[in-house]
Amino acid sequence: MDPPPLPRLLRLALLLLLVASPAALAWKKDEFRNCNQTPFCKRARTRAPHSLDAPLSLVAGSLAVSPDGALTAQLSHPSRPRPLLLRLSALPPHALRLQIDEDYSTTTPPHRRFHVPDVLLPDVDSRTLHLSKPQTVAGAAASTVALSSDLDALVNHDPFQLTVRRAGSGDPVLSFNSHGLFDFEPLHESKPEGDTWEENFRSHTDTRPRGPQSISFDVSFHGADFVYGLPEHGSTSLALRPTRGPGVEDSEPYRLFNLDVFEYLHESPFGLYGSIPFMIGHGPGTSSGFFWLNAAEMQIDVLAPGWDGAASTENGRIDTLWMAEAGVVDAFFFVGSEPKDVIKQYISVTGTPSLPQQFAVAYHQCRWNYRDEDDVAGVDAGFDEHDIPYDVLWLDIEHTDGKRYFTWDRSTFPNPEEMQRKIADKGRKMVTIVDPHMKRDSGYYLHEEATAKGYYVKDASGNDYDGWCWPGSSSYPDMLNPEIRDWWADKFSYQNYKGSTPTLYIWNDMNEPSVFNGPEVTMPRDAIHNGDVEHRELHNAYGYYFHMATSDGLVKRGEGKDRPFVLSRAFFAGSQRYGAVWTGDNSADWDHLKSSIPMVLTLGLTGITFSGADVGGFFGNPEPDLLVRWYQVGAFYPFFRGHAHHDTKRREPWLFGEQRTALMREAIHMRYSLLPYYYTLFQEASVTGVPVMRPLWLEFPDDKETYNNGEAFMVGPAILAQGIYEEGQKSVSVYLPGKELWYDLRNGSPYKGSVSHKLQVSEDSIPSFQRAGTIVPRKDRFRRSSTQMVNDPYTLVIALNSSGSAEGELYVDDGKSYDYQQGAFIHRRFIFADNKLTSINIAPDNLGKKVFSTECVIERIIVLGLSSGAKKAIIEPGNQEVEIDLGPISLRSGSRSVAPTVRRPNVRVIDDWTIRIA
Amino acid sequence: MRVLALLLLLWISTAAVAAAASSQPLETLGIPPQDEAYYRGGVIKCRDGSGKFTRDQLNDDFCDCPDGTDEPGTSACPEGKFYCQNAGHSPITIFSSRVNDGICDCCDGSDEYGSNGTCKNTCWEAGKAAREKLKKKVATYKSGVVIRNQEVEKAKVALAKDEAELAKLKGEEKILQGLVDKLTEQKKLIEKAEEEERLIKEKEEKRIKEEAEKQAAEEKKAPDASQEADSEDANGNEQEGESKVSEHHDGHVTDHDNHSPEGKTSVVEHDITAGTRDDAPAETSAVPTKEQDPTSVNTEGLSKAELGRLVASRWTGENVDDVGKGDKKGHDDEFDIPEPAEAALEDEHDIPTPAEENYAGYHSEVEDDRHKYDDEELSNVSDDEYVDNHEEPDESYKSDDDQKSDYHSDLTASEQASWLDKIQQTVQNVLQKFNFFKTPVDLSEASQVRKEYDDANSKLSKIQSRITSLTDKLKQDFGKEKEFYYFYDQCFEGKEGKYIYKVCPYKKASQVEGHSSTNLGRWDKFEESYRIMHFSSGDKCWNGPDRSLKVRLRCGLNNELNGVDEPSRCEYVAVLSTPALCVEEKLKELQKKLDTTSSDLPGHDEL
Repeated sequence: MDPPPLPRLLRLALLLLLVASPAALAWKKDEFRNCNQTPFCKRARTRAPHSLDAPLSLVAGSLAVSPDGALTAQLSHPSRPRPLLLRLSALPPHALRLQIDEDYSTTTPPHRRFHVPDVLLPDVDSRTLHLSKPQTVAGAAASTVALSSDLDALVNHDPFQLTVRRAGSGDPVLSFNSHGLFDFEPLHESKPEGDTWEENFRSHTDTRPRGPQSISFDVSFHGADFVYGLPEHGSTSLALRPTRGPGVEDSEPYRLFNLDVFEYLHESPFGLYGSIPFMIGHGPGTSSGFFWLNAAEMQIDVLAPGWDGAASTENGRIDTLWMAEAGVVDAFFFVGSEPKDVIKQYISVTGTPSLPQQFAVAYHQCRWNYRDEDDVAGVDAGFDEHDIPYDVLWLDIEHTDGKRYFTWDRSTFPNPEEMQRKIADKGRKMVTIVDPHMKRDSGYYLHEEATAKGYYVKDASGNDYDGWCWPGSSSYPDMLNPEIRDWWADKFSYQNYKGSTPTLYIWNDMNEPSVFNGPEVTMPRDAIHNGDVEHRELHNAYGYYFHMATSDGLVKRGEGKDRPFVLSRAFFAGSQRYGAVWTGDNSADWDHLKSSIPMVLTLGLTGITFSGADVGGFFGNPEPDLLVRWYQVGAFYPFFRGHAHHDTKRREPWLFGEQRTALMREAIHMRYSLLPYYYTLFQEASVTGVPVMRPLWLEFPDDKETYNNGEAFMVGPAILAQGIYEEGQKSVSVYLPGKELWYDLRNGSPYKGSVSHKLQVSEDSIPSFQRAGTIVPRKDRFRRSSTQMVNDPYTLVIALNSSGSAEGELYVDDGKSYDYQQGAFIHRRFIFADNKLTSINIAPDNLGKKVFSTECVIERIIVLGLSSGAKKAIIEPGNQEVEIDLGPISLRSGSRSVAPTVRRPNVRVIDDWTIRIA
Repeated sequence: MRVLALLLLLWISTAAVAAAASSQPLETLGIPPQDEAYYRGGVIKCRDGSGKFTRDQLNDDFCDCPDGTDEPGTSACPEGKFYCQNAGHSPITIFSSRVNDGICDCCDGSDEYGSNGTCKNTCWEAGKAAREKLKKKVATYKSGVVIRNQEVEKAKVALAKDEAELAKLKGEEKILQGLVDKLTEQKKLIEKAEEEERLIKEKEEKRIKEEAEKQAAEEKKAPDASQEADSEDANGNEQEGESKVSEHHDGHVTDHDNHSPEGKTSVVEHDITAGTRDDAPAETSAVPTKEQDPTSVNTEGLSKAELGRLVASRWTGENVDDVGKGDKKGHDDEFDIPEPAEAALEDEHDIPTPAEENYAGYHSEVEDDRHKYDDEELSNVSDDEYVDNHEEPDESYKSDDDQKSDYHSDLTASEQASWLDKIQQTVQNVLQKFNFFKTPVDLSEASQVRKEYDDANSKLSKIQSRITSLTDKLKQDFGKEKEFYYFYDQCFEGKEGKYIYKVCPYKKASQVEGHSSTNLGRWDKFEESYRIMHFSSGDKCWNGPDRSLKVRLRCGLNNELNGVDEPSRCEYVAVLSTPALCVEEKLKELQKKLDTTSSDLPGHDEL
């Protein structure tokens, strides 16, 4: 029986070895294709400017204005089998759309190239201008066409080249193919003899039955100091760093290919969970944007000046090279004088961010996994015990019966309705996870149904694609198909989703889609979707359609009365219409905390304003100080959620000693007090697309100092904050832009603008300031959740600028329903000037008959920068007199009274009034 | 009598409802009685010294003192506290954030004075239930204190006995050691003599043999084939032994080999399995990153399902073999080593080793737990459940790794004296009889010496092992009054789901499922002044910490283990009710509390 001594010792040694080597797991570079391993990318990337064998030129005489007002023309080259069809259309005020595809009318290409459906707003076509006839440029093979009073487009014919220019000066803003890198691989009728189209990567074979079909071109951003956008990549830089050219070390291009990347790097151009092929260029006095609607794998090079060998480069121009594996050219050129104009135009084609419910803007508590009902009750009670507000408790995959979504593990969650009701009694909500991989289990009703109806994505040989994910063998509903999306949406009804209640919302994870045994942990490119579309053509949009279907499901469930909340990991252009996004499985280290800001800012610039990173970092155990700092930064994220991997130690905010509990409570309180401001900003975003959390240069577009500041950020127009990203940091340098003063959010101390301040780092907060000239609405009473704050009174914090004035807004609605779309909201503008604060209604009165009413009053008005020793204020109408006293900026023990504070004016927020400082 | 009580009840409840409905006067709202004096006077100071406020500003729903002094009765100050009187039950203090938030926090409903009677006064019922509970708790403590005192007395006696035994054993050891030393010397001499004798004999034999061989050589003979075959056979045996060894060590590899027809595949599989469980030094040394990363392996040649499992395991940390098979599985069977092997490992571990370096990093947070199980909280319902479980059979039993029995079997106390005398006598006799200088050695005498030596030696080692175990035992921390002495030889078991948890204080804790057992930790120490037993450095969790267990102790009449939980991966907690925690002071405290809650009642209970 006794094992011989040698093995025993060996085994011990092996055991020790195992113990000694911790999970030093990290990003596995060789599991992902780089550009050199990707033929279309390698071909395009190594091509020299103007070196194409068959450059496309515009067929003279084919240029015409079509009946719908667009400009059309043929592009061809003698060596090409067929000409391509070009379409140019203008969208007011300052956007140009360029479409290039095979010409299906004259010849018959073997397949139709894929146009990404349901991303552009349905009215985009109807909003296009009727273009006038193009003018021939004298002495050149070129034409011009006016796009608006101040923009035109110059079309060079041979080779085809497009430049969007400012009409008066003729200054170029954006140009397409100015470096002659435009290539459009025509679809082949059949595979040439002896040719192989197959591509192999590691153990996977891509059959590529349709052969090469890639597209590449260069785009130049004139007048731009930096370019931004292209989520999602880990980066500590807000601006996109050059990936090629002089001074650039060997770098991959920015890759857009939705992937579930295990332990991703905080600094890498490789693609992560979502893709938005939208780039913004910005420089003093000019902003522009370029958006390529294409869901195939894309690689984009940002080229350093001199990359093309040109000795002298145009001052302020950034060249970029765009490469996609498939699809068509459907690209938008946006011109703005300011970056916000560019964002607004991008939003005008991809849709405005949906307005979240009030609760969704508050704090979320998540963990993989809260194990059972007791655990849920315990965590819920923990928040109450420590007087820390939270609004949503989340359940990850373990709550299901064997990873069958829409089911419950009844051994751990025997009474889900009861559990949700208890949480809801405190005004709180719950979220459960629903992923796209369906367990291939004959006893699982969803699998049965999807199989019977043929709703799964097919593999290259036409069978239901069988991949591997959490449940094991899994299949994936084909979300490209609207019928399947409808079917999916119905699964969220209370009747279908057993154990769900009206306070349960949804989390979509793994929707890249993540396939553990697929190439690069995703679905094979030759899998087939509805309409004979190859997965390669729509890959980057799969998660988007899934998010859409889930969101639609919640709308249906609530009979159109309850705004959905769906968090998604994968995203694409337009995802802002369906809910929130987070930056996926980050790690509990300082670098990931730092990179979360550029990542969230970039998402905001590209439409997705409702985003955040997992507070604390998903993988690994954060040092307690890191966790505190993460709460302090995360409290400013538009989407604010703590989350953790199941191998990590518990990290609910009260587990790290009283002092740290107080700090995390303080951070969360800060967010709750700013909820009225955040909600107002979300409303602004839902109309204009201008994000809640903004890069500094969005507010200070002419201040070059701000252009590549990825450490500080603005929340709306009024608040600037900067994280502490280093352990034990003693001092921090914070640049405050603009001419006006900035007031410390916590103690009201003033700081000069346009100056970099070296500040002592305090442990209680990260540097955060209110800009002079702004008014911020707050609610300073903390409750269990935002629900109980509904009737609480407001505080207005007015920071006067150098001319003694300030402005701010407050938007309020029921925080839940769609009644606001019919006018049930209040929208006020507060204006302080000449020692008078006035509240005026700025709600348009043509929206509908519904009315929102509230008894909420303003209990306190803090005026920073008010010099007079005023003791009283007079409220009009009524001429009621109220006191002015010195008061603190924030109501915390030990705060000093520093600012004149109007005590209890108690004016209702829905009324018009004026308060005069006497 | 009954009518009177009923009337009283009616009166109390109407009075309470009236109190809740007609809101309290502003100047006392939310102020505990002991603080009422502080709020007298026209100008009142903020407690944090930040300022002062007038009487008008008291509870005017505007926060003048950031610390909340001026708004004890409203929600205006974030840091404020609200006192509810809860007549009929115990008064409590709640966060100001709970005032008028639409949720009933005080049983008298006083925290929701602004929301039009949404909250009914439930203090009478709640108070009654709480008092009942407290009574039961006091009863438990009363009985518990008795048991505890008995145990403390027993422990004193037993400890004294242990110490006496140890002292005695040490004395015996000394004597026996002396004998053994003498016998050893004797034995050496005999052996020396025997060796000499043997050498002489050998020499003689050799001489005879050589002579014989000489003769034989002359006769010329063919080589002996059978002899050669013999040696070959021996060789073969040796090899077989070796291969057995390696087979054992690489048991699973061989397994895979059996399953896969192609050599190539099996190599890859071996690689993976080796990475996740053991390691294949030869293969991994070439690629250093692979060595550390079980899931970064050449995935060529894996089946689709294997690849899926492998990639999934990065996130889950599960054993690749288990991924996807079951849903909750995998956590606990990383170490799939068969039972005997594990026992062997534990033998290795038995040698006390210094605490692992990384141990300090895995201190789990007790604050949370403390609250959950704090038996000071009268309001905590789950806390008092144990009171009802008097009839539960005592599940504790004697620890099976007790060595005492072995020792006692041939050395019972009564026999000891005679035994020692006897052996001393015998040895004496042997030594006297034996003549060292006599050659050749008297074989019968030599064997007697050997026998005596073996006897004495084996008895010595038994005594020594008993001494070691007693010393170990007496080194332990048995608590201020040695109230945990009787834990030493006990194990406590509790069932949670499919697992049985076994906690052996001062030894180890394990989780048992069928035949497989996972070590949750070796005894570390008591924490929080004997309210927690900490077991640490248990089996390693893949991608996680070493397993550990914290057992929270609370007063109960029987030793019962329950509430086993794993709040963080591989960090377990459990609750053990035991009389050892039924402390007299606490009983007094509870008794006092019971007395005051009962006497505080409007009209008093007994009327």
